[in-house]
Amino acid sequence: MKKYNQNYSAITILIVLALLTFFSCKRDIDDLKPATFPTTAEVFIDGFSEGLAYAAFGGSKVTAFDVDTDVKYQGTASMVFAVPDAGDPAGAYAGGAYYTTVGRDLTGYDALTFWAKASKSATLDIVGFGNDLEESKYQVTLQNVALNTNWKKYIIPIPDPSKLTQERGMFFYSEGPENGLGYTFWIDEMKFEKLGTLAHPRPAIMEGQDQVVSAETGQQLPVTGLIETFNLPTGVDQTIGVAPAYFTFSSSETSIATVSSSGIVSVIDAGSSVITAKLGDLDAAGSLTIQSAGQAVGPQSPAPTPTVSPDSVISLFSNAYNNVPVDTWNTRWQFSTAEDFDLQIVGDDVKRYRDLNFVGIEFSSQTINATAMTHFHIDIWTPDPTDPPAAFKVLLVDFGANGTFDGGDDSSHELSFTRPLLQTGQWVSIDVPLANFTGLVNRAHLAQLVLSGDLPNVYIDNVYFYNGGNVVSTGPTTAAPNPTRNPADVISIFSDAYTNVAGTDFNPDWGQATVVSQPSIQGNKVLLYSGLNYQGTQFASNLNVTTMTHLHLDYWTSNSSGLNVFLISPGPTETPVALNVPTNGWASIDIPLSSFSPVDLADLIQFKFDGSGDIYLDNIYFYKTGGGGGNTPTTAAPTPTFSAANVISIFSDAYTNVAGTNLNPGWGQATLVTEQMIAGNNTLVYTGLNYQGIELGSSQNVSGMTHLHLDFWTANSTELKVFIISPGPVETPYNLTVPTSGWSSIDIPLSEFAPVDLTDVFQFKFEGNGKIYLDNILFHN
Amino acid sequence: MKGNYSILAVTALFCAALLTVWGCQDDDSAIVKRNWQLVWEDNFDGPAGQSPDAANWTFDIGVGPGNDGWGNAELQYYTDRPENVSLDGDGNLAIISRRESYSGRPFTSARIKTQGIFEQAYGRFEARIKMPWGPGIWPAFWLLGANIEEVPWPQCGEIDIMEYRGQEPNLIHGSVHGPGYSGGAAVTKSFGFTNDRFDVDFHLFAIEWGPGYIDYFVDDTLYQRITPDDVSGEWVYDHPFFIILNVAVGGNYVGFPTDQTNFPQTMLVDWVRVFRETN
Repeated sequence: MKKYNQNYSAITILIVLALLTFFSCKRDIDDLKPATFPTTAEVFIDGFSEGLAYAAFGGSKVTAFDVDTDVKYQGTASMVFAVPDAGDPAGAYAGGAYYTTVGRDLTGYDALTFWAKASKSATLDIVGFGNDLEESKYQVTLQNVALNTNWKKYIIPIPDPSKLTQERGMFFYSEGPENGLGYTFWIDEMKFEKLGTLAHPRPAIMEGQDQVVSAETGQQLPVTGLIETFNLPTGVDQTIGVAPAYFTFSSSETSIATVSSSGIVSVIDAGSSVITAKLGDLDAAGSLTIQSAGQAVGPQSPAPTPTVSPDSVISLFSNAYNNVPVDTWNTRWQFSTAEDFDLQIVGDDVKRYRDLNFVGIEFSSQTINATAMTHFHIDIWTPDPTDPPAAFKVLLVDFGANGTFDGGDDSSHELSFTRPLLQTGQWVSIDVPLANFTGLVNRAHLAQLVLSGDLPNVYIDNVYFYNGGNVVSTGPTTAAPNPTRNPADVISIFSDAYTNVAGTDFNPDWGQATVVSQPSIQGNKVLLYSGLNYQGTQFASNLNVTTMTHLHLDYWTSNSSGLNVFLISPGPTETPVALNVPTNGWASIDIPLSSFSPVDLADLIQFKFDGSGDIYLDNIYFYKTGGGGGNTPTTAAPTPTFSAANVISIFSDAYTNVAGTNLNPGWGQATLVTEQMIAGNNTLVYTGLNYQGIELGSSQNVSGMTHLHLDFWTANSTELKVFIISPGPVETPYNLTVPTSGWSSIDIPLSEFAPVDLTDVFQFKFEGNGKIYLDNILFHN
Repeated sequence: MKGNYSILAVTALFCAALLTVWGCQDDDSAIVKRNWQLVWEDNFDGPAGQSPDAANWTFDIGVGPGNDGWGNAELQYYTDRPENVSLDGDGNLAIISRRESYSGRPFTSARIKTQGIFEQAYGRFEARIKMPWGPGIWPAFWLLGANIEEVPWPQCGEIDIMEYRGQEPNLIHGSVHGPGYSGGAAVTKSFGFTNDRFDVDFHLFAIEWGPGYIDYFVDDTLYQRITPDDVSGEWVYDHPFFIILNVAVGGNYVGFPTDQTNFPQTMLVDWVRVFRETN
């Protein structure tokens, strides 16, 4: 009796529901028990089941699906799918969903099954159920289904049937051409079943891997790789893709990261949290460990405020200027992982990119005409390492006169920037002449800016084009002094006076901003670095300069605030030597090659300048002092021009010397002392110097004199000091710069020799090494 | 432990389900009530990792006396290591097949037997087993004639109480091999579930064996009776046999395992019991 009553109640409810549907009776909804939904198992047996509808996916060939009454597995009809050939104008693929407007109760089934075959062996991209063309909350997918020309039964397990109380997505599929060719496949006898022969369900997240990701506060990231593997009645495993709603997710540290029911992780603080999941009662394999660094590292101060006049600027992004419209700062092109954020630093608007592999910035709606502009500027800040070869790249794209992408007249060029321009943790300004974008043939319809490189975290500001035509300095009006070295003693890189080594590349693309040109000044060609940041020079073949002693160069700059020259050997091994800037007219410098240690002088590949400003260079050459192995000066020391009345001379052909002077007193020295005539001029020569004295014929009162003058020449000395001595003895050394390039003349203030008694000088001494030529040793006023 | 076990084989209900797929012959469904007395058992109680009781079992080691995969081109190397055969600590024996290179073979597994320890003619032999699974997995619970040393197979007789192919997880097979009807010509019959599998839960596999008949059971279902009328050669089942439990990998009967076959694979045996019929 009791059982009968229950059945009666159920029948009553069904009748009420039917009434509601057909007559729209108005009733108090609270009186009703939860609606029950049909448990219809059939999807397509010999035709559409009750309430089933079909919709083709967007972009697919909408006529791909049809009903076939000729080919069928069983009964009178099957579903037939004509996959289009590649390039079919009607649609690129076959795809669509079969759905019902009233949900079905599928909780009594454990799989969707069907029979299928194809006109040839093929791999069906995706089939599944749970796609209701809306939320598709309980979607399940089976990918890469192998079809062949024989009918075969396929099974798509339901991960958790208890979820499917009112499922509307009965079946969906998507399949493209195979190797460009279309084909046909058939599906028949599609229905939900309670097989009972599916076993060993193994759910997983992150495809079963234990993955660790770095994250930061505020970041959201999905749990991916949601799958479940079942053992089919054939004993083989099959893995399906499972929608997040089948899983329950949890976070081990909810103060660090939380996870939503749809598997979206929100990072809320610094620390570590492990995201895991269950499907029903089963623990899912795999995990996602969030390692949050907390708040992102960024600049604490704004980028330098631009100073270029607004009249000369077309700005994309800067608080200093009115900006032109930009369509998007992140085109989200395929494979781009970049995320963009707008933020303020001390009131200054800044854009931030995270996970930057590349990002498109597009202004194609209103392209930019930068023909009147000369430079591109962008300030960047990165917390990431900038050690070479880390690069930051800037690509400018012009869409050409037709203003459309790929319209046949596009042009573009990418520049790459590295150390020393790039710096970690500080704003750096990339300020590049547009002329450097050599492939950017036109710049009247600039439409895209693409940033890329090795820095995943980049803050940018002050993105603009400008006309910098007036900022170039005026150059020298006279040519650099003509070199006088014997060509046999020279390896010349850049000079009109010598034959230069062949094939040198004076403007290799090292990502520099510098513009290189070779103007002529008074008929003499010079090397001009405009807007130097850094600039390399590449030798055509490696140079061996071990026989050379010096690097010579002439340089001129009125606006540089820093200038270094580097020699570079493979490794690279490079050593800078700082040059004094700005110059007062042409400056000539002879740098002993030992200054570039540890650069391999036998294997020079490049040299480099870095610094700032506009630099004029000339007569860049290596040379050796002396000639051949003789190490002998070929010219006489310059004849001094001091008035004899103001001179007390010790050793000079030009004056009367102090009488009775012993040029080689026996002080136990090893030095060989000789006198040689060089170009008719008597010269004092110390060979194998260790130390060497001179005893004056009489003590001299030089307190009325101001300087000691010496001419000295040495090709091989690395140390040379001169002393004057008063009784005591009281002696004070003075360091002379050796080796010399030709004769060196020096006038040493006598105050340098304190506390020597200048009223009573009776000896000289030289200490050091090498072979030294001396002349015109004299005091003068 | 001693006691009387009264087992009523009720098959009629199940036959209806089997009819469509495997048929159901009347002579298999005879309901016979017998009284059984337990004479030998191993319940596999003991700590996890312990080897099976040496008082009950010995091991077959290696690849068979003919170096031919035990006559079946089986791929595994049988060992007596706990990694391949040991108690699971929950009252079961675990025979574990592993994908590992061992003595030149790509898999290991185990095969244990009561040869020389316990041998009996006639009676009820039963084991409660949960199967491994996957293509190429071939577990078995079977008997061999104890005179095999003197009378070579198949003359000694073989009674396969249960064989199973991992790629057909809803089917088991019961067979006899004798002179003139061995190997592929064995007398055999299958029992299957339409909506269940043997690898998701334990099932009881048994024969009831007397002079002139062997009845095959799955749980309470008698699905096959083999009598001398069913065999094409001599009836060689009137002498003592010993018990074997093993899990083979690959071989002529089952085919090769595939990349899809999950390893390790474990056959769990809750108990093995042998009864003698009493009045």
